Amino acid sequence: MTQFPDLTSFSLEAVLTILGMAAVTYGMRLGGLLMADRLPQHGRWAHVLERLPGAVLISVWVPSALSAGAIGIAGAAATVITMAVARNLFAAMAVGMVLVGVGRYFIGN
Amino acid sequence: MSRPGQTENQTEHAPEKSPQTGHFDADTIRRGAIACLPLLPSTIIFGAVLGVLSAQRGLSLSELLFMSLAVFAGSAQFVSVDLWRETIPSATIIIATAVINMRYVLIGASLRPVFRGRPLWVKVSGMHMVADENWAVTMTQKDLANPGFLLGGGIFLGVVWATGNTVGYLLGGGIPDPEVYALDFAFTAVFAALTIGMWKGRVDLLPWIAAATGSIIGHFVLPGTWSILAGAGAGVLVAALTWREDMDDDSLEAECAVEGREAYGAPEGITDATPVTETGK
Repeated sequence: MTQFPDLTSFSLEAVLTILGMAAVTYGMRLGGLLMADRLPQHGRWAHVLERLPGAVLISVWVPSALSAGAIGIAGAAATVITMAVARNLFAAMAVGMVLVGVGRYFIGN
Repeated sequence: MSRPGQTENQTEHAPEKSPQTGHFDADTIRRGAIACLPLLPSTIIFGAVLGVLSAQRGLSLSELLFMSLAVFAGSAQFVSVDLWRETIPSATIIIATAVINMRYVLIGASLRPVFRGRPLWVKVSGMHMVADENWAVTMTQKDLANPGFLLGGGIFLGVVWATGNTVGYLLGGGIPDPEVYALDFAFTAVFAALTIGMWKGRVDLLPWIAAATGSIIGHFVLPGTWSILAGAGAGVLVAALTWREDMDDDSLEAECAVEGREAYGAPEGITDATPVTETGK
C-alpha cells in the first residue's frame, strides 16, 4: 500500500481553474433561483415554472436510457411502470437495475 | 416517508400564517440524507472512477477533493478531468463546465417553491449543494421539501462522492466496472422513477411529451448534454403555449401549499376539479 498522498499539494493554476468551474456552476444554480424569484407568482410564468422540473427530469433520463441501448429503454420502462404501480423508489430502481444487469449479462448491450 | 394522518392535522389546525419549519433543521437535513441513500453504491463507484481518472491525469488528491466539494457536479467533473493536462487548459475546462451545467439554471429556477419565503442567506447557502439527484428527490417529496431537506441530500452525496474519489485515487484502478452491475443505470432509474412523483395532472401531459421528444431529437442531433436543454426547452415552450387563464387557480393552490399538504404540486383533487380540456393543441 502506498502512503497516503499529501493533502496540501495544490498548484495555483489548478486552484484557479477549479474556482472558475465552481463560480460558473454556483452562479447558474443561484442565478436560476433568483431569476425565478423575480417571475410572477401566478399566470403563465408560474404555470411554466411548475412544469419545469418534470421537463428537466425527463430530459435527463430519456437520453441516457437511449444511450444504454434497447436494454436501457426496457429498464427505464420497467422502472417507470414499477414506480407507477408500487410507488416505491427502492423497488422501482431495483427492478430497472436488475433487468439491465441481467440483460447485459445474457444478451450483452 | 409519507405521514398521512399527521399532515391532515397540520392543515386543519394550522393558522393562516403558520410558522415555517426552520431553514436548516437537523431533523430535516437527516431526512434529506436518508432519502438519497439508494444512490450510495452508484455515487461511490462513479466517484472512484473519477478518482482513478484524476490520478492518471495528474491532479493531486487534494485538488480533486477541492473540485468535488467546490464544483459538486459529476458529469462536468468527468469532462473537466478528462481535459486536464500538465498545462491545464483552464478556459476550455471552464467553458465546458458552464455548458454542461447550464441545466442548473433551470434546476435552480424550479427550486423556487422550496425556498419560498426564505431569506437571501438561506438561498445563498442552500444552493451550492444542489446535484441532479438530491434536487429530484427533494422536488418529489410530499411535505418535507425545504432547504434543509435539499441540503441534507447534498451533504450526503458530497461526502459519498468525495469518499469514492479518495478510494479510487488511492487504489488507482481495480474499481469494478459500473456497467457490470448496472450501477450506471441507477441514475437513469432514479430519475425515471421520480418522474412519476412529479405528475400533477393532465396539464403535464403535453409538456412532458414535448420534453421527451425534444430530448430524444437532441440526443441524436446534438453533442454532449445539450439534449437536456433541448428537452427542457421544448417542455417549457409547450407549457407556455398550453397555459390558459383558467389554469391560474391551479398554480396558485400549488404555490401556497408549500407548508401544507404538498410541497410542490396541487393537492389531490384540485387539478381534477379545474376544467382541463385538452383542446388546445
